[in-house]
Amino acid sequence: MQTPTITGSAQPRLARGVRLQTDSKTGNSVLLFPEGLLELNETAHDIVTRCDGRTVGEIIQTLAEEYDVDPKMLGADVRETLGDLQRRKLIELV
Amino acid sequence: MIAPRPYALLAEITYRCPLHCPYCSNPTQTRNDQELTTDEWTRVIREAAALGVLQIGFSGGEPLARRDLPDLVRAAREASLYTNLITSGVGLDDDRVRALSDAGLDSVQLSFQSDNTDLADEIAGARAHQRKLDAAAKIRAAGIPLSLNFVIHRRNIDRLTEMIALAESLQAERVELANVQFYGWAFLNRAALLPTREQVVRAREIATAAKTRLTGKIDIFYVLPDYYETRPKPCLNGWGQRYLTVNPIGDVLPCPTASSAIPDLRFENVRDRALDWIWRESESFNRFRGTEWMPEPCQSCPQREIDFGGCRCQAALLTGDAANTDPVCDLSSNRAAVDAVLHEVDSLGYHAPDWTYRMNPGRLAVSA
Repeated sequence: MQTPTITGSAQPRLARGVRLQTDSKTGNSVLLFPEGLLELNETAHDIVTRCDGRTVGEIIQTLAEEYDVDPKMLGADVRETLGDLQRRKLIELV
Repeated sequence: MIAPRPYALLAEITYRCPLHCPYCSNPTQTRNDQELTTDEWTRVIREAAALGVLQIGFSGGEPLARRDLPDLVRAAREASLYTNLITSGVGLDDDRVRALSDAGLDSVQLSFQSDNTDLADEIAGARAHQRKLDAAAKIRAAGIPLSLNFVIHRRNIDRLTEMIALAESLQAERVELANVQFYGWAFLNRAALLPTREQVVRAREIATAAKTRLTGKIDIFYVLPDYYETRPKPCLNGWGQRYLTVNPIGDVLPCPTASSAIPDLRFENVRDRALDWIWRESESFNRFRGTEWMPEPCQSCPQREIDFGGCRCQAALLTGDAANTDPVCDLSSNRAAVDAVLHEVDSLGYHAPDWTYRMNPGRLAVSA
């Protein structure tokens, strides 16, 4: 399936019925949804916890500062993760 | 043996149901014991969360038949579980939708028998279809994610296109078109329910096309009838690996159909034992855990950790021994048992026999 380009001004948010939670057994973040769950790696966790009304551009900027890396390099990773979560209908872009 | 951690609990809170679907997977005979109380279920839910469970499905029977359902949903949310309600929708009025929504219910799976009212009501053995349509609208209005579950069988499989259209018009997020699996009442009614090969081929084409057309709009899951497969389903992702079921009277089952399909397996009860012990130590959970129990051809098969030898209940029902390879597998020496059933169905053509409707458990003492 073709993924439309994720623009910097899009605001990602968790899709309806999707819950972010800490797995008390592992300490890792998981997304819970009807009939399933997805364990998040550290980067995905950092992205998803910032899907709070911020734009994609703002999320990239914040994370680049926190990780102390080039926003251009990080941007591709963030967009890829968001695209993956969007394909799984776990986040939506508004 | 070191037990893995379970992820999901199926809470079958009652076997009572206003519907009488002939494909019900509930046991055809139930023990006349008292259903677990609200307090007992609350304890089970907490113990399950402590074991690592992240998801709970409230099922049955019809879970709405218990008035304390919102209390149980609240208890599950307090234990940080993701809560699914698996329901016929009958009994879901405005007050109950509100109470469930306030309790934090995360998602609803609503069963449908058909898109067509007369056929749906005939299959359910009850006038339920219009009430399901009303229930769907109420769930939507409350903003709760909605999945539609259709059990597919010989009498409704030719209406797949119309059933998918119903899911679209009800704005479901997800639709499951699952061919009937033969356990409980469905096993009893197999000759009336199993679709013909011709029907199965056509249905698969329709489901595949709809899946493509509705990508990004509705998630469509089509589950083939496994008798027509040549490799078994990876039942439960392995026995005692990820799932556990607690039935209305508190028996803890590795699989919801195990109590009726595997008569020589003894199940522990939450009234006598802690859930943690049952999951880790009990004979019923350890009997088919891992790969050591496997006979040939499974033991040396490269697929053994992909399909786990298939379904223990199916092996028990069709070969008389739950430890056999699932006879759906064409490497099984018992595959002929499955082929004989398929042959019989094809020779019957459209002259399917009548079915027996599910009956409610007799004189079940009810405490909720």
